[in-house]
Amino acid sequence: MRTTGKGLFRRRSRRPLWGSALLYAIVVFWCFIVLFPFYWLVTTSVKRPIDVSRGPNYIPYVDFQPIPDHWEEMFGTQRESTERHFRNSLVSAIGSTILSVVIGAMAGYGLSRFRYYWGRLGWDNDNIAFWIISQRFLPPAIFIVPFVLLYNFFSLIDTYGGLIIAYTMFNIPFAVWIMRDFFNGLPVDLEESARVDGATRWGAFIRIVLPLSAPGLVAVAIFSFIFAWNEYLFALMLTNFNAITMPVLIAGQNNTRGIEWWFISALTLMAVVPVIIMGLLLERFITRGLTAGAVKG
Amino acid sequence: MAIASGSMSTVREDRIMKRVFLSPAVIILLALSIFPLLWSLGISFTDMQRGGSTIARQAASQGITEGVGFLGMGFELTGRNYQRLLVDGRLHSTVRNTMFYVFLGVAIQYVIGLGLATVLNQPFRGRNIVRVIFLMPMMMTPVAAAYTGRMFFDSNPLRSPLADFLRDFGKLLGLERGISVPWFTDTGWAPIAIIIIDAWQWIPFMTLILLAGMQAIPDDIYEAARVDGANILQIFWRVTVPILLPISLTVILIRGLEIFKIIDVVVVTTGGGPGSATESLTLYIFEQALSNGNYGYASAIAYVLLVLVIIFATIFLALGRRWIRGSVERGE
Repeated sequence: MRTTGKGLFRRRSRRPLWGSALLYAIVVFWCFIVLFPFYWLVTTSVKRPIDVSRGPNYIPYVDFQPIPDHWEEMFGTQRESTERHFRNSLVSAIGSTILSVVIGAMAGYGLSRFRYYWGRLGWDNDNIAFWIISQRFLPPAIFIVPFVLLYNFFSLIDTYGGLIIAYTMFNIPFAVWIMRDFFNGLPVDLEESARVDGATRWGAFIRIVLPLSAPGLVAVAIFSFIFAWNEYLFALMLTNFNAITMPVLIAGQNNTRGIEWWFISALTLMAVVPVIIMGLLLERFITRGLTAGAVKG
Repeated sequence: MAIASGSMSTVREDRIMKRVFLSPAVIILLALSIFPLLWSLGISFTDMQRGGSTIARQAASQGITEGVGFLGMGFELTGRNYQRLLVDGRLHSTVRNTMFYVFLGVAIQYVIGLGLATVLNQPFRGRNIVRVIFLMPMMMTPVAAAYTGRMFFDSNPLRSPLADFLRDFGKLLGLERGISVPWFTDTGWAPIAIIIIDAWQWIPFMTLILLAGMQAIPDDIYEAARVDGANILQIFWRVTVPILLPISLTVILIRGLEIFKIIDVVVVTTGGGPGSATESLTLYIFEQALSNGNYGYASAIAYVLLVLVIIFATIFLALGRRWIRGSVERGE
């Protein structure tokens, strides 16, 4: 992909002064819109309750004295709860990420390298791929009743396994789609020469194709992880105590002891920071993954 | 393919491997997507409820526990759920709310996303870091974004920086008591607040993909337009926008389908209120299924949502194809 990004103006030097002024004004304004809520979360998490309700207090040490109490509470008296919910989120997100990447890569490879024909439906590879991605856009509400019944039947309610299965199901369509695109862009020569040298299909897939597909695999992993980490509806529906994840914990702060904004802010930051760090480190993969198929379209 | 000339065993191996690669994904989708889909269609035609069904309860009160209902399975086949759809006023308002979220939400997100992508496509100092900053809201769990939104849309200027700003801004304009917006307590404003929160979170997605689309436009096209004497606005409307049409349709479709599913922001900010002014379809289905235990009726509503989604996608794809063909024929 070309990333010269010269856009409307050919060179920076040819841009009129008002153009630059407008550009920077928009950039600064939007950075403010994005960052100020994060700033507000950070400051709220170190405010005394009185500073939250008698404010608004903007600048620490000037408008209010920051206190570490809420963070201490989260890692002190609330430690067991914080750790448990964080662990639940982590286990279900990582578990479903691994499964989605493995299953998605396999199906993506199959759809990219073999020719399928589902005679009874008259479907070829493109139809199958479209069917798979279309599953991603079904409204989850339609799964509420059958999942509750199924999960009760198999005693999967409130287990890691239950969440992992549900999130894997939701992540597979996207994983297959991205990986298929990725493999389509990968030349077949390397695999073929490996097979002439006696490697099996599977061997060539594991030892040659997968290492070359690292960027696609990383993109799929990031998306699967973020989706599972942030998901709310199914976590709410399929857990009731042991397996409750961070989003459900945060949403539940509504009715426990009245709304404690300072504690919610700390919890929110707890939930957001891992994803943001991961996102910042892997930003280029996100762009590549998201746009793999879209740009060609 | 070169493999075709390989030994017999390679061909047989391929015939097996081909299934091995695709089967896990297909089996999972059949078991966890297609089967539940058909099952809930079935449930929508029954009187099933949590802990039995209406007819089973009636029978149980008379001491009968076996052989009740359709084929003795303990529930009754009925079209009542679908009749009820027609007269359920709360359902109609949730459909209206959901459509409002989808259309206004997508429009706002697309326009701002396109604007920001245009800005990020210009060369300027610090562009890489700005691009990363712009992505941040997308990484927040929607529940957390909703709580943050609640802090900002609190109409008490002692608590909310936004209310504080609006009050001072209003005073600056000469209004005696400043501007005060009853965000979550007014039936007109509450859906707007929800749309703004969702937009804040998902504009980055639009920006990201539209930017990638813009960067794939070769420079020669701009150069040619410039040689023809087009100014910046003309280039934007006649070159950038038409070329981005296919990718625009894709992102609009994706975001539209996502907003159809909205629930978390609504739960955290208003819980569906005031009245049912902000209640979304997914929230209503969730309440019918899990709070009221009306499995049959909840499934019927879920099918309404599915049909709406399919209609939306179909019309949109059909229109999209026509627009794209139109812009090709006009030679753009």
